[in-house]
Amino acid sequence: MTRPKIRFERVTKRYGALTVLDGLDFEVAEGEVVTVIGPSGSGKTTVLRVLMTLEGIQDGVIWVSGEPLNMMHSKGGLVPASKAHIRKIRSRIGMVFQNFNLFPHMTALENCIEAPIQSLGLSKAEAVERAMELLTMVGLTDKRDQYPSQLSGGQQQRVAIARALAMRPETILFDEPTSALDPEMVGEVLSVIRELAAEHSYTILMVTHQMGFAREISDRVCFFDGGKIVEQGPPDDIFGNPQNPRLQQFLSKVLEAR
Amino acid sequence: MTFRLAAIAALIAFLFGLTVATFSELRVFLPALLRGATVTIEISIMSALLFWAMSFIAGIGRLNPIAPIRWASTVYIEVFRGTSLLVILFWFFFVLPSFGVVLTPTQAAVLGLGLNFGAYGAEVVRGAVTAVPSGQKEASAALNIPDWKCMLRIVIPQAIPVAIPGLSNLTIEMIKATALVSAVTLVDITFASVQQNQIHYRTLDIFLVALIIYYCFSQLIRFGGAILEARTTRHLARGQ
Repeated sequence: MTRPKIRFERVTKRYGALTVLDGLDFEVAEGEVVTVIGPSGSGKTTVLRVLMTLEGIQDGVIWVSGEPLNMMHSKGGLVPASKAHIRKIRSRIGMVFQNFNLFPHMTALENCIEAPIQSLGLSKAEAVERAMELLTMVGLTDKRDQYPSQLSGGQQQRVAIARALAMRPETILFDEPTSALDPEMVGEVLSVIRELAAEHSYTILMVTHQMGFAREISDRVCFFDGGKIVEQGPPDDIFGNPQNPRLQQFLSKVLEAR
Repeated sequence: MTFRLAAIAALIAFLFGLTVATFSELRVFLPALLRGATVTIEISIMSALLFWAMSFIAGIGRLNPIAPIRWASTVYIEVFRGTSLLVILFWFFFVLPSFGVVLTPTQAAVLGLGLNFGAYGAEVVRGAVTAVPSGQKEASAALNIPDWKCMLRIVIPQAIPVAIPGLSNLTIEMIKATALVSAVTLVDITFASVQQNQIHYRTLDIFLVALIIYYCFSQLIRFGGAILEARTTRHLARGQ
């Protein structure tokens, strides 16, 4: 195994008095598909949000491909990262949100070309070519000129996946990608993610409540509770033979609800 | 049937005659009123441009991560919101010359109105920008779009339709507030009306005309705002 793609080193995140991540150590290997499960408030979404730099951390270092994200090298030591450094490192990461967060005033195609043009400096023609490839992959070429309000939830999330991929990230974060969807639209989004996971050309870190899906696509499942990883391992072990009592309790509750 | 038609025709003829009799002197004072209206329009357009620009500059400036920009915006907003427009006009026209800054009446009027209403507009814009869901900024950050491009291309386009009702309201207010520019020697529609009334004593006709002219301006802004709002929210309409 190569050096880890993502590494959390004693990462602590607090909201006021509330500690969400408590000295978290966590690694994801290159090309690995890792699913994070856990009760609400366990810090699982926070892992993605601090990795995407949507939120800062109070202590610890996050490493991306061996380079620090929230810190940078200076005079032989690590100092808090500059904005430019953060932008450079986080360009390797893409994120898909629970609520899609598409730009409502732009069409599906415009959503997908905006960042490649504005951030990577691609020409419009290049960006459109790249975007059309991805819209083809998610099966939405015919919706290219539709605004998000004219698309179903499942279609919006597929556009959001294409939009994230258009930046050619090495790692993709999925934050409960199907939680805001009507049940009949969950399948179309999962099949796109399944395809990406099977490719193993991306490192995937996903937070989800779809236990069956997590079991099916993951190389490893991590159970979070209280800002820490309580148990992790291959999906068949986690779901088939959970050791930790809290994980057992969590799984019985989740499976009961289904 | 014919009787009813004749009755209606007679009524129209009567009203027409009454109008002609009442407003027969219209042509005597109307040119002066229209000259005043032209001044009102000129001042309104220039002030509105400054007012809208200041609304966006100060409204967005108040949300800037750089503290001095935020402070400057806050000071501007609070100074102009907290002081009387009339006093500000007096300041620009009568006080500034003693500091060596001499403004023409038009410059003083446009600066006074534009800066004063810009302070109110800034709060409208700030509210509209704040109303854009935080997920939009998070998506921009995840796509590595630079902050200023995010503001310009993602946030402001979504804030504009939210700000339009408030800004068109203020624009109507501002047009009516141009009545104060006579304080800096400009002869606008209101002052022209007062002058014509002193000459002709046709109080009803003159002030009715002034009222109608103001009303027409306001309606123009209202329709303009409605059209702009419809255009900027087109993408939110479902189906098509």
